Amino acid sequence: MAEVSLRHIEKVYPNTEKKKKGSKSNLKVTEEGVLAVQDFNLDIKDREFVVLVGPSGCGKSTTLRMVAGLEEITRGELYIDGVLVNDAAPKDRDIAMVFQSYALYPHMTVRGNMEYPLKLKKMDKEEINRRVEQAAEILGITEYLDRKPKALSGGQRQRVAIGRAIVREPKVLLMDEPLSNLDAKLRNQMRAEIIKLRQRIDTTFIYVTHDQTEAMTLGDRIVIMKDGVIQQVGTPQEVFDHPANLFVAGFIGVPQMNFYDAELVRDNAGDYAVKIENVYIRPSDEKQENLRRNKVEPQSITLGVRPEHIVLADEGENVLHGTVEVMEMMGSAVHLHVNFSGRDNIIIAQTMSLGGKNPSHFGAGSTLTFSFSGDVIHMFGKKDGKNLEA
Amino acid sequence: MKKKTRRINGMWSVIMLIVSVLYMYPIFMVLMNSLKIESAISTSTAFELPTAETFAGLANYENAINAQGFLSSFFYTAFITITSVLAILFFCSMFAWYITRVETKVTKALYLLCAFSMVVPFQMVMFTLSSMADTLNLNTPWVLWVIYLGFGAGLAVFMFCGFMRSVPIDIEEASMIDGSSPLQTYFHIVVPLLRPTMVSVAILEAMWIWNDYLLPTLILDINKYRTISMLIQFFRGSYGRVEMGPMMACIMLAILPIIIIYLVGQKHIIKGVVAGAVKG
Ligand SMILES: Nc1ncnc2c1ncn2[C@@H]1O[C@H](COP(=O)(O)OP(=O)(O)OP(=O)(O)O)[C@@H](O)[C@H]1O
Ligand SMILES: [Mg+2]
Repeated sequence: MAEVSLRHIEKVYPNTEKKKKGSKSNLKVTEEGVLAVQDFNLDIKDREFVVLVGPSGCGKSTTLRMVAGLEEITRGELYIDGVLVNDAAPKDRDIAMVFQSYALYPHMTVRGNMEYPLKLKKMDKEEINRRVEQAAEILGITEYLDRKPKALSGGQRQRVAIGRAIVREPKVLLMDEPLSNLDAKLRNQMRAEIIKLRQRIDTTFIYVTHDQTEAMTLGDRIVIMKDGVIQQVGTPQEVFDHPANLFVAGFIGVPQMNFYDAELVRDNAGDYAVKIENVYIRPSDEKQENLRRNKVEPQSITLGVRPEHIVLADEGENVLHGTVEVMEMMGSAVHLHVNFSGRDNIIIAQTMSLGGKNPSHFGAGSTLTFSFSGDVIHMFGKKDGKNLEA
Repeated sequence: MKKKTRRINGMWSVIMLIVSVLYMYPIFMVLMNSLKIESAISTSTAFELPTAETFAGLANYENAINAQGFLSSFFYTAFITITSVLAILFFCSMFAWYITRVETKVTKALYLLCAFSMVVPFQMVMFTLSSMADTLNLNTPWVLWVIYLGFGAGLAVFMFCGFMRSVPIDIEEASMIDGSSPLQTYFHIVVPLLRPTMVSVAILEAMWIWNDYLLPTLILDINKYRTISMLIQFFRGSYGRVEMGPMMACIMLAILPIIIIYLVGQKHIIKGVVAGAVKG
């Protein structure tokens, strides 16, 4: 039930001691110290579900903790519902947080854990009971209410942690990698439950994860970060279809996008084409338009194509040749690891579309012909990795 | 191979048995003699079990309790021990919590200072201490806990910090977000987490303070206030001859509470040590 605005938020960790976790990060270091978060700008709408995603050490948790008030904001302004809360204590921000480690109070029962924030608010008994039971009902933990956290499984503990956060009906619900301590199956299940939960409670969510699948499935908008800098903000569709740079292109989507060295050339008519090996691929009209608008010069580029956009082709003109190294049968599709121009590429072929060909046809060492069309390619500058269309 | 280990184990059992007999023997001697008449204690019969002639029943105990002011000594000792242990638990746990969670140069220095205080022998500071206690009017049993807090802090802070470091900070952060002030976090969250360590610290400090002789002797006026250990010493010097019977009875009475505390708290001590080792 709240809007959150982050304006030029920065976090500097004084350079005094050894860095936490000792990660060999590429964070910018100034005289003040390590810049863990740089110039972070984001306006989060009421009831929006925003996911911060990025590799380890990119500053996601730090950003979230600044919103929570657990970490001091070095520079910039943080507004919750239009109120500047830079210096407000966590308890005065009307936020709740779910930790990766669950952070349940070990000496209290599940009920005690969920009541605790309400008791601190001096809410009356009946209201407390009503809310706790309702939350327990939503999360399916009613039967464990009188147990201690020690006697619960990981998934149940995480539910309790979420329960403790939602009983307060906070303005903003913060989650820091809440699912990463769970096994794969349970994680998928909990992910679905978070989506359901979201429909039942009216709260703004900020969710941190390093898992792009979680980000894509949960987020209304995704914020992709690297080394303390926002790389792109957008809906899952936007970041998937129009990655702002090489990093985003490689980070979003499984299996990873394939990258090739290529040349961007331009003919006399002003039409662009991408030259890879000896094949010319003409970008779609829309892409032509974007390139023209940005006045892109012919240059060496990194070409990106998603595995699912590559099609197996018959021998002919404008096809590329590669050698199959590994074939992975995934059921509905085959993942082919193909060596092409010295790089490992992945091609996803739907089993259905193989036209009756036996997948074992693509044994290791066999040669493959493939192609892709001009509307699925992504072109990135060699120097800065920026998407040339953006 | 198995036979060998079994033999070694058997040997150890015998050795430990001998050692424990050696440890128990003095206590047994005291118990035995506390039940004898005076004349039978200071002679060669001291090492014999009481016979019909030498058996005094509980006379020595009655004497110690009634005539020698054991009860008031017991009260002073208990009061000093309880107040000191409570003060140590409260202040040291809070202090340890602060210095492990707020890491600055100052808190690090404070931690080292605390650890260092464990190394300084009491004898080195005792004379300055006693004159300082006089100046500050700390020379009564009612405020002796202030001094014990100072001497007990080293060990207590050391143990609390050791445990605190193994506790993930998330739990306290969660409580801050849930709406607690730092003090509420301390009482609602940190104290319950520290409970096993608190029991260990309390037992160790209580045993030391209860049995301490030198510090109260130096600071308290023996004519006004006598702790139990002072009283026992007092028996030796008061009438020119040593009153062995009541003294033995007194010793028995004095060690009784500490043995009870230890037996009750024993499992907590072990728990407290383990709690730091495995992730909480
Ligand atoms: N107290 C600290 N002092 C100095 N540097 C710190 C401190 N805490 C974090 N950092 C650094 O700030 C950077 C961002 O940390 P942060 O915990 O936000 O990363 P993250 O994106 O959450 O990573 P992860 O996915 O591993 O949780 C890291 O490189 C880390 O080394
Ligand atoms: Mg993190």
